Amino acid sequence: MIEAQSLTKRYGQRTAVDAASFTVRPGKVTGLLGPNGAGKSTTMRMIVGLDRPTSGSVRVNGHFYAEHSAPLHEVGALLDAKAIHSGRSAYNHLLALGATHGIGAARVREVIDLTGLQAVAGKRVGGFSLGMGQRLGIAAALLGDPQTLILDEPINGLDPEGVLWVRGLLKHLAAEGRTILLSSHLMSEMAMTADHIIVFGRGRVIADAPVADIVGQGAVTSVRVSSPQAAELARLLAAPDVQITSASGSTLDVAGVSAATIGGVAASNGLVLHELTTVTGSLEEAYLRLTADEVEYHTQSVTPEVVR
Amino acid sequence: MSTLAQPSLSRSSHIDASNRGLSATGILRSEWIKLRSLRSTWWSFGIIVAIQVGLAVLIALTAVKPTGQLPADAATDAAISTISAGLLFGQLVIAVLGVLVISGEYSTGQIRSSFMAVPSRLPVLAAKAVVFAIATFVVGFASIVVSYLVTMPILAEAGVQANPGDPALWVRLAGAAGYLVLIGLVSFGIGAALRSTPGGIAASLGLLLVVPTVFQLISASWATTLVEWLPSSVGSGLFYWGGTFEPWQALLVMLGWVAVFIATAAVLMKRRDA
Repeated sequence: MIEAQSLTKRYGQRTAVDAASFTVRPGKVTGLLGPNGAGKSTTMRMIVGLDRPTSGSVRVNGHFYAEHSAPLHEVGALLDAKAIHSGRSAYNHLLALGATHGIGAARVREVIDLTGLQAVAGKRVGGFSLGMGQRLGIAAALLGDPQTLILDEPINGLDPEGVLWVRGLLKHLAAEGRTILLSSHLMSEMAMTADHIIVFGRGRVIADAPVADIVGQGAVTSVRVSSPQAAELARLLAAPDVQITSASGSTLDVAGVSAATIGGVAASNGLVLHELTTVTGSLEEAYLRLTADEVEYHTQSVTPEVVR
Repeated sequence: MSTLAQPSLSRSSHIDASNRGLSATGILRSEWIKLRSLRSTWWSFGIIVAIQVGLAVLIALTAVKPTGQLPADAATDAAISTISAGLLFGQLVIAVLGVLVISGEYSTGQIRSSFMAVPSRLPVLAAKAVVFAIATFVVGFASIVVSYLVTMPILAEAGVQANPGDPALWVRLAGAAGYLVLIGLVSFGIGAALRSTPGGIAASLGLLLVVPTVFQLISASWATTLVEWLPSSVGSGLFYWGGTFEPWQALLVMLGWVAVFIATAAVLMKRRDA
């Protein structure tokens, strides 16, 4: 259980996290979603006591992180892959980390096996690929068998097999009743992994709800119809609560009326249909809609004239 | 890489429930693992041993034969002076290592892992200092004793015979090793306060080499006094007896220097975001 209350972090004039209040509950995977610079990583660093909040507070299992007598058994965190001395071997890194809590070589070998690092455990971390670094970071997070796991962009740099493994591992750990918080700016990844999503935009919590609600909230269900007699069909479907937009000459996007009704109208009027598809809004669309005003680094759309 | 274990292994039987939690011995053991698992440690200590012994032999072999038998005190002084050249180099190596053991954690990001494991932070600083000091003393004292033992027959041939039964000789040899430790700790404090490898090395070598030279150029009595209080000169009082400071005074002043830098580092470490 992680509880943040009016958590705020300012760096000079810039507010990285702005009065964020949220609760991360055990037994499910909670996703921290937001564009780059939205305050996800800063929030995670404050949870584990690396950054001091400007105001507000965040507690883990009822206590400030630094108050725990065995922090590695309470919280395991992967903050970024670069939290490891590059001159040390993976094995010695984990051994030194575990030694602080009296965790011995047996558990170190266990997490090395668990994360598939056996072949490189004796090698210096400086030569690791991004993916191996992530696995080592996950191994370090699991070292103390913690009740709460915090993972900042855990699938960054992992190969497809690694991505599947992380997804499976997180679901499994959540099913054991642990608290899992992971961040990502990839909405598709969140849709597959998380049960609950907290959306950050410019340091503020702009949504905090189950995945299904986030998708439903921003989703507009429409029906895509393709017909050689599109204009005729549009005339027949026209009603005050129906919006019809034309994607191309023969294709219509119809909102406010079901696919079954459109099919019925077409059949009873003898119109030919080439396509009749219900389009559900994706998490991605919902997310873009939510964060449209909250993106810190807007890209300019590139017009063909500029590209040339 | 391709064999991934089942996630069900995450619940561990290898964590002893009775031994859960942070402890001072655990943090010390962690810092010892960290120190011995880096190549820079072995390189630095190796260089110290090689230079210490090598220079002592070279100086002993080229020593000018005294006319007649030296008195015991002068013979001990001669024995000490054969090891002092090695210390001049050794102090630079240990200063660099002292900075590296802490600044390396900041430059690589390791410090975030260290502080997540020990969120109160200061035990990390303390344990690092203790482990580094002990390792430096062991290596320094061993190389100095070896230097003495190797040069003893060479010096004896030249008619210089320091009495190995003289306790003062051994205290001075230990003082020489202590000098390395204290110079290392001053640099460690500088490295911890600055959090940067290049900055830390520049500052500590500056304090050892540049600052004394600059103040020696100023021909005012306050400048002369100031130079006497700088770590490199006051520290030599630990093994060259009979200077401005008594050995115990030299030790206190050196401990003062260490305290100033490490206390500054501790305050900053507690306050700053990692």
